[in-house]
Amino acid sequence: MEIDSERNLQRKQATYQSLDESFMIQKEVYKGQQYSHIYFARLHFMRTLLYSLVPNWKPHLPVCTILGLEEGKECIIVGTLFKHMKLKPSILDEYSKERSVTSLVKPHNFVHIDDCLILEDESGRVKLTGTLLSPSAYVTGIVAAVHGKDSGAGDFVVQDFLEAGLPPQVELPLKSREDKYVVFVSGLSVGSSTSNPLQFQLLVDHITGHLGDEKEQGIAAQIVHLVVAGNSVEIPYGLLNGQNLAAKDQSRLSEPIKELDILLTQIAAGIPLDIMPGPNDPANFALPQQPLNRCLFPGSAAYNTFRSCTNPHCFVLDNIRFLGTSGQNVDDLEKYSEANDKLEFMERTLRWRHLAPTAPNTLGCYPFTDRDPFLIESCPHVYFVGNQEKFQTRLIKGSEGQLVRLICVPKFCDNGVAVVLNTKNLECHTLSFATQLSS
Amino acid sequence: MNSRKRAQATAPLPPSKHQASTPAVEEEFVDEDFFLDETLIQEDEESLILRDFEERQALASCLSKWARPPLSPSYVSLSQSVFFQQLEIDYVIGESHKELLPTSSGPAAIIRIFGVTKEGHSVCCKVHGFEPYFYISCPLGMGLDDISRFHQILEGRMREVNRNSKVPKHVRRIEMVHRRNIMYYQQQTSHPFLKIVVALPTMVTSCRGILDRGIQIDGFGMKSFMTYESNVLFALRFMIDCNIVGGNWIEVPAGKYKKTAKNLSYCQLEVDCLFSDLISHAPEGEFSKMAPFRILSFDIECAGRKGHFPEPTHDPVIQVANLVTLQGEDQPFVRNVMTLKSCSPIVGVDVMPFNTEREVLLAWRDLIREVDPDIIIGYNICKFDLPYLIERAQTLGIAEFPILGRIRNSRVRVKDTTFSSRQYGTRESKEVTVEGRVQFDLLQAMQRDYKLSSYSLNSVSAHFLSEQKEDVHHSIISDLQNGNAETRRRLAVYCLKDAYLPQRLLDKLMYIYNYVEMARVTGVPISFLLSRGQSIKVLSQLLRKAKQKGLVLPNVKATGSEQGTYEGATVLEAKAGFYEKPIATLDFASLYPSIMMAYNLCYCTLVTPEDVRKLNLSPECVNKTPSGETFVKSNLQKGILPEILEELISARKRAKSDLKEAKDPLEKAVLDGRQLALKISANSVYGFTGATVGQLPCLEISSSVTSYGRQMIEHTKKLVEDKFTTIGGYEYNAEVIYGDTDSVMVQFGVPTVEAAMDLGREAAEYISRTFIKPIKLEFEKVYYPYLLISKKRYAGLYWTNPNKFDKMDTKGIETVRRDNCLLVKNLVTECLHKILIDRDIPGAVQYVKNSISDLLMNRMDLSLLVITKGLTKTGEDYEVKAAHVELAERMRKRDPATAPNVGDRVPYVIIKSAKGAKAYERSEDPIYVLDNNIPIDPQYYLENQISKPLLRIFEPILKNASKELLQGSHTRSISISTPSNSGIMKFAKKRLSCIGCKALINNTEQTLCSHCKGREAELYCKSVSQVSELESLFGRLWTQCQECQGSLHQDVLCTSRDCPIFYRRKKAQKDMAEAKCQLDRWNF
Repeated sequence: MEIDSERNLQRKQATYQSLDESFMIQKEVYKGQQYSHIYFARLHFMRTLLYSLVPNWKPHLPVCTILGLEEGKECIIVGTLFKHMKLKPSILDEYSKERSVTSLVKPHNFVHIDDCLILEDESGRVKLTGTLLSPSAYVTGIVAAVHGKDSGAGDFVVQDFLEAGLPPQVELPLKSREDKYVVFVSGLSVGSSTSNPLQFQLLVDHITGHLGDEKEQGIAAQIVHLVVAGNSVEIPYGLLNGQNLAAKDQSRLSEPIKELDILLTQIAAGIPLDIMPGPNDPANFALPQQPLNRCLFPGSAAYNTFRSCTNPHCFVLDNIRFLGTSGQNVDDLEKYSEANDKLEFMERTLRWRHLAPTAPNTLGCYPFTDRDPFLIESCPHVYFVGNQEKFQTRLIKGSEGQLVRLICVPKFCDNGVAVVLNTKNLECHTLSFATQLSS
Repeated sequence: MNSRKRAQATAPLPPSKHQASTPAVEEEFVDEDFFLDETLIQEDEESLILRDFEERQALASCLSKWARPPLSPSYVSLSQSVFFQQLEIDYVIGESHKELLPTSSGPAAIIRIFGVTKEGHSVCCKVHGFEPYFYISCPLGMGLDDISRFHQILEGRMREVNRNSKVPKHVRRIEMVHRRNIMYYQQQTSHPFLKIVVALPTMVTSCRGILDRGIQIDGFGMKSFMTYESNVLFALRFMIDCNIVGGNWIEVPAGKYKKTAKNLSYCQLEVDCLFSDLISHAPEGEFSKMAPFRILSFDIECAGRKGHFPEPTHDPVIQVANLVTLQGEDQPFVRNVMTLKSCSPIVGVDVMPFNTEREVLLAWRDLIREVDPDIIIGYNICKFDLPYLIERAQTLGIAEFPILGRIRNSRVRVKDTTFSSRQYGTRESKEVTVEGRVQFDLLQAMQRDYKLSSYSLNSVSAHFLSEQKEDVHHSIISDLQNGNAETRRRLAVYCLKDAYLPQRLLDKLMYIYNYVEMARVTGVPISFLLSRGQSIKVLSQLLRKAKQKGLVLPNVKATGSEQGTYEGATVLEAKAGFYEKPIATLDFASLYPSIMMAYNLCYCTLVTPEDVRKLNLSPECVNKTPSGETFVKSNLQKGILPEILEELISARKRAKSDLKEAKDPLEKAVLDGRQLALKISANSVYGFTGATVGQLPCLEISSSVTSYGRQMIEHTKKLVEDKFTTIGGYEYNAEVIYGDTDSVMVQFGVPTVEAAMDLGREAAEYISRTFIKPIKLEFEKVYYPYLLISKKRYAGLYWTNPNKFDKMDTKGIETVRRDNCLLVKNLVTECLHKILIDRDIPGAVQYVKNSISDLLMNRMDLSLLVITKGLTKTGEDYEVKAAHVELAERMRKRDPATAPNVGDRVPYVIIKSAKGAKAYERSEDPIYVLDNNIPIDPQYYLENQISKPLLRIFEPILKNASKELLQGSHTRSISISTPSNSGIMKFAKKRLSCIGCKALINNTEQTLCSHCKGREAELYCKSVSQVSELESLFGRLWTQCQECQGSLHQDVLCTSRDCPIFYRRKKAQKDMAEAKCQLDRWNF
């Protein structure tokens, strides 16, 4: 921190507690387990929850298992949704007789008018019909309660639908708070052709207080935490084709990481930072993504302010609960369902109490045997996803007074925008470092 | 041994040589059973059926809700004409009908027509008075008196041959009629023929035998006769004479039919009538529709013993799944599964659990009776499911089970048959006759209509429905059955799926429409289409046409192949190469039929060499074919084959134009089925004349057809190369690079597709003018680029409009050969894709090199290397040692429970082993290979699998293709995995090596050697990117299996080795575990 002759700006501090344990894979190994267990764990947890809600919802109706359905009898069933999708890509397509010359029409969205929903519990599955549910808003993997009756032809005519709703929330401590800022940034993409090193340097300088006048430095001093939400580097994976690498290519591979390490070291020297892995980072693919290995960051890893975290990432800062991902969960929802904006997808995951319902079906995930780490048991105060097209934010309220700040963190490499959250009032604004490159 | 004894005790085997050794109790049992069999069934079958009636009442009320709609009063009172669509026609021998035929007595053939009315009532119409007959030509000078004497002599001879028959009169009558032999051109229009009418259909054969051998007639001496139309099946004869075609609508007018006093069938309407009163409606307008038939699709599951394929003498039937669909509806209205022992309910399915196997079987019989299906479908039901059920009931001594047909008192029996045909080869099969119901085995239909690499239900549904079927190994089936109600439910779901797939295939491939239309076009009953060859279809048409013209067909004895062969269609020499200029293709539209029409080629227009001299026909009246035969032109005598063809072709045109107008999807289906049937029929006429073991071969016709064909191809080539030259004012000289049976490929030399298309059209029009109508050369498509390998082998991009190509078209190139591994197919397809579509030859070469390198470096996906062969016999029966047989033996030694049995398909890979070991010794189970890290033999795959197909493609393109592809630097680096099961590895000490340079390191805490320190970031990226790829693959594979299985909450237990991802998902699981361990080394 630069020492000014007149004022000595002191960086503010905040208490921090990481809640990543449930996303850590340590003892777990691949030994032939399949994905049925995670669905089972999910169904088990959610069913207990939904059963407790049913007496308030429809006290007069009996609750059945899918097997116990009787023709024409109205009842409530609880199960995992499965969306049958015509356009869903399949690995078997690789083997189809004729390689199609034209690629898929809309590779970014697989929703089709003929999609249908099926509800499944461990006893069986039943097709959901009726006009109430629009399949385009739902995805495979959600657990919900359905009220309706068996039509006799193996269909279940839906009359009403119950989602678990927002989870309970620890009340926000309101008294005596001051302005403290948490900065979110994602998609730094160091090493990619679109990233502009100058933008990143400006961001670093701003955060560390090397930029602007006293007033601005005063604001910078109020930044207590930085979250880097995925896709920090772009590595030329094309080089990795199984053959041994030439010396020149070896360095091309590690160059971006070195650059990132240098910049992060500057930040870590000033403020605490959390770095999460994203889909392009040198991390594993399946969710939960494990922390980026410290051997990648020989410089910054030396600071105890540097924390390599999991994706999804959960922490408590000054008693405010943060939950976020590098974006895969929402991006996958966008492929397999429809909504007005990204924030709506985020809101849905909270209502479904599941961070990534499409895992493992269309989103890669570790085959857990005894638990489902993506269940949201406690409502966060701030819920962010990284690597989105543009910045969006909204404050949503739950039925029990829960208050959640939703944030879509844009890709920094696109237009140099980072997001700042004020922990005092959960207000949110952007920091823009857009520069004009004269080229 | 124990189970064997028990089975025998309950089996109603005749007491034979085992008698001495078997205890007395068993004998008594056997005897008692025989008593039942002999008397009860015959005298009072009804009561037997009703035996457990009370116990089954609950079941009966359950089943009755699926019964056919009740008859309306006008049907009950017989005041209404009966219109029905017939599906099956057969005949029985019975007493002639006293009321309808007051003059005749004794046994007679009664035709039975089974069908369905438009309201969905089942009909059994018994037709009386139709008599079997055939013709002989009348000897010259035979008068009416001679005929009656001849009649007496023949009757006497017949009596000798058919001693046991109770027929009062064998030869009913002999009539003098005027007909003409279809063979050879004759100037006279008719000759006297004798129509010999016999009492029973079987007597046609015996009578023919007598006449063949010769008969002594007073005044004429010993004389043998050539018979005419004596080989026509009785049911077909009836159909021809009554103008009935397969699957059409029949009207029995009100007042013309009688209700049967005692119903002999289970049909709702059973009527008797005279054959002359039937009205057959041509399939037009209202009568082209389909009645609402009931289609039953079923599948059974048996609990086999470990290591054995289920056998009906030992293994119980544990589940039967049934789906019944009304023709024209897209969802089944009955979904039912009958299980042995309790079974948890399934949504939307009627689950019927029973305590004993006997109850299951009887319940199924009751279901058949109550639902009364018109068509029974399934997968491999003819060879497996139906015979199994019947033989199983026999073993259990359930005499009343096999009453599945529509005729009371008639039991279904199984007999072995062989079906052989030149086109389809010889197939052993079992024939189960279920009277009045059509059986349609999808497996047979598939084998007939499609060339596939595998006919397992799994791969067929993958091919046509693009979904994989979950496959439960039969060793698991027993475990599921012996579990609880839940596991049996699991099995029931699987069984239902297997029963549903045939129905979906039927719908998807429009089989009902296509086969009914084929039956209508060719005039044969639907059941003939599956059980008989092509020739009966042409014969039926020929007979119908001949009847109109007063012609008769001689019964030529099959002479076998000695009659010689004739020169087939030749192809022009292929100028192999890779053509990067557009190649226009000129096609003859249905060449062979048009030749036959253009040159009036027929049996009745062929002039014998003698007659050519004798008749002195003027050259304007005849055509001399290039093969030297003479045929008269149509002004003298119009051939009936050309006439049949003309009708077929114009009917097809009509059907096609109607199809364009049609709006209703069902109507469209009918019309599309019809135009397809017409096309196939038109093309099979030529083959009929060339089938030397067929019904009426005439090689003069077929050899003339091919000789004309050859001439036309040559003619076309000449005209093209003469006209399209620089001298002729064109930009380039055209060159014919290849010509097949009915097409000619021309390189006009122009660079654009559009220009080639214009020239192609011009050439087609110009050349067509030189041919006799209706022979026509059409321009259809352009290949650009075009890779011509040799004759009948080529690939190219197919263009029908100049802006965009339609597809990649390949012919004769390894894509679906059974004995190749998937790698070959993938390589070939990918290379062609790169060469033709991407126009990237270096890319294709690089791709081949990378693949070969992957193979040598042991990085290849194992499932691509699996070769699959069917195990048809056991080891001793094979003369030559074969890889898959040897492997099956070895696997049996390892574990008899999971080893493949006869009838299974055996997948294997070739592994490395001692030098000089034979290929058959090196086969190994892919799962075993994966589990034990056994190295595969890349050299085998390189030399025996991929090299030939690849060189074939690349030789026209590259110089030194073999050197370039198979011997480059990419082949120098190899990696062999260390087997984990070999002895030597027990002594080896495992030590960690540096991830970067493979140097050994001592400290187990470290990942890298001191030398590689500093490269951590790069090396970690490498490791982690491997893991990340594997994770993605793992997820995609296992979720796909969940998808196929149709359940998220249950473990996948599919073991379908036919599924392309079966080995891959196993390998992914294993690789994932290893890669994860490797990655964990970084977390120090």
